[in-house]
Amino acid sequence: MTDLVLAWLTVFPGYTVPLLLASLGLVISERAGVLNLCTEGLMAVGAMTGALMALAGYDPLLAVACGALAGAALSLVFGVATVVFRADHTLAGLATVALGLGITGVVGRPYVQKPFDGLPRLSDTVWGADLPRLVGQQNILLPLTVLLLLAVWGWLFRTHSGLRLRAVGEDPAAADVVGIDIQLTQLGAVLASGVLAGLAGAYLSVAAAHVWVEGMVAGRGWVAVAIVIFAGWRPWGVLLGAGLFGGAEAAMLRLQTLGLDFPIYLGAMLPYALTLLVFCIACARRRGENAGPAALGKAYLRQDKH
Amino acid sequence: MTKRFLLAATLSASAVFTVQAADAFELKGEPKIAFIYAATARDGGWNEAIDYGREALEAELGLDVAVAENIPEEATRLRAAIDLYVKRGYNIIVGTTYGYSEAMSEAAEAYPDVAFFNASGVHNSDNMESFYARTYEAWYLAGIAAAESSKEGKIGILAGFPVGVVNWDINGFATGAQSVKPDVETFAIYTNSWWDPVKEGQVSEALLDQGADVIATDLSAASALKAAEDRGARAIGYQIDMSAAAPEGIVTSVVFHWDKYLVPRIKSVIDGSWEPSEWGWFEGIGSGVVGLAPFGPNVSDEVKADVEKAKAAIISGDLKLFAGPLKSSTGETKVAAGEVLPDEDLWSMDFFVEGITGTMPASQ
Repeated sequence: MTDLVLAWLTVFPGYTVPLLLASLGLVISERAGVLNLCTEGLMAVGAMTGALMALAGYDPLLAVACGALAGAALSLVFGVATVVFRADHTLAGLATVALGLGITGVVGRPYVQKPFDGLPRLSDTVWGADLPRLVGQQNILLPLTVLLLLAVWGWLFRTHSGLRLRAVGEDPAAADVVGIDIQLTQLGAVLASGVLAGLAGAYLSVAAAHVWVEGMVAGRGWVAVAIVIFAGWRPWGVLLGAGLFGGAEAAMLRLQTLGLDFPIYLGAMLPYALTLLVFCIACARRRGENAGPAALGKAYLRQDKH
Repeated sequence: MTKRFLLAATLSASAVFTVQAADAFELKGEPKIAFIYAATARDGGWNEAIDYGREALEAELGLDVAVAENIPEEATRLRAAIDLYVKRGYNIIVGTTYGYSEAMSEAAEAYPDVAFFNASGVHNSDNMESFYARTYEAWYLAGIAAAESSKEGKIGILAGFPVGVVNWDINGFATGAQSVKPDVETFAIYTNSWWDPVKEGQVSEALLDQGADVIATDLSAASALKAAEDRGARAIGYQIDMSAAAPEGIVTSVVFHWDKYLVPRIKSVIDGSWEPSEWGWFEGIGSGVVGLAPFGPNVSDEVKADVEKAKAAIISGDLKLFAGPLKSSTGETKVAAGEVLPDEDLWSMDFFVEGITGTMPASQ
């Protein structure tokens, strides 16, 4: 039993980190009022760019950084469409997903299924050979993710600029009156979510699979959208949600190797059912603490400024 | 006409049961062929294997074969693609996934002058034939190679969903392994997805953590093999030769050679002798459609010889797979001594054979 728990704890971060990074980005974007459904596409672009850089022989960390930048670049398209041109957030988001999946399919075609070394585990680095397995199996992106989580939480809820960002998502008109640049804030938030989604995508290819194939994000971007709802748009809730989704998946696969007789479909369904439940509760309570930002998904139009 | 009749009489063993005397399908006009894929054709797996068959067909016939990619397994989307092809004069259409079965069958009814083929489909008619291979025969051979390559006597296989065509791969693999090492332990994990390369790598890790030192994938992504290679374990690929993902550890790959079916079959459509099989085309390693890729650099001659021996015995019919006494992992007798699992039970196989550790969702 301890073996099983230890094995589960060892692989837990691998399942959780990409979901955590992507949902964290979504929290920033949606706290600023931009309903962001493009994560799946942004992750795809991040995964492909990271893999292409790694295949070209660049340092894995640089490859991951480039994946994050690629995510940011595509999110800028979405940001310009929604924030500057005030396109419908849902439609623009879905279009961005299609764009991201399309670009990766076309550009990445020659690089499909070509393995590369990718980001090493800590135990494979020169100084980490003696680390215990639980730590040694992780890679450098895990501490980075923890730092990012702390940073985003601190920024959104403990700084003045974080408060201004949340104000934009709750009541853009009021925020505008006190002199906050709505468009700049929202664009910045969308860009930040692009960086994090790109990072999550690059994690999948450069740190986890060490190979790129079309469609490798496999719905994780949509799971991130669900996690943010589950989390009530709070960073710590995101940690819980990503841990729940990732942990359940990791556990499900480990349990199968033991040959236990348990309903795997029911287990796989559980996190989604919980998300639905949490969402229903939030709706029932109306403006309860689990409800999203009040102006989420609404284009802000000031009378005299277009 | 007499020639055709003779062909029909000799070829179809089930002729007694057919209501009407089957007339061979007649192609109107020049052959124009199209292949339709549910994802990218170069996916490094299932589609790619079929696409090699398409290329062989092009080379053999000297024709351009059209390709449509990323056509989802939804009736309306597939039908739109088929309608367009038929409108443009295409008269031989090849689908490539089980998920196309229903919509293709309806299209075959709507366009009786068009020949339809569907890989791993379920429907057959006067102008439609589904085809698949007895993959479990090749997996049996892979199981022999896996057991003999394993130092620990523990091998692992990852697969997509618990359906018949997948379960017979797992069971073929395990029984092959047991045929040379009776006490070998086989671990099986379902990813519950046909396409999730990240998870496939992670599942491979889970099997390695369980002590397996040979990892076989019944899916399409190279990440499972890469994970095994990184940990110094051996690997077995599927669909196409996956040795590039594990240059050192590769044992072999279970591979398809769809050209061996597609080229002669489509030629027969063109020359007017094609008669769709009533139950679908379903052959094993003897036909060459499924088999093993060349062995890896670290596979001993002994292993190769044992695999060859079993291969010859399966083709000659001396070795019957899933022959009794066969018990499931829960101890139930599935095939009595002296009997062989019949084809219809093969398609609905919903158990693990004895010696497999894994979770089989309760059968309905």
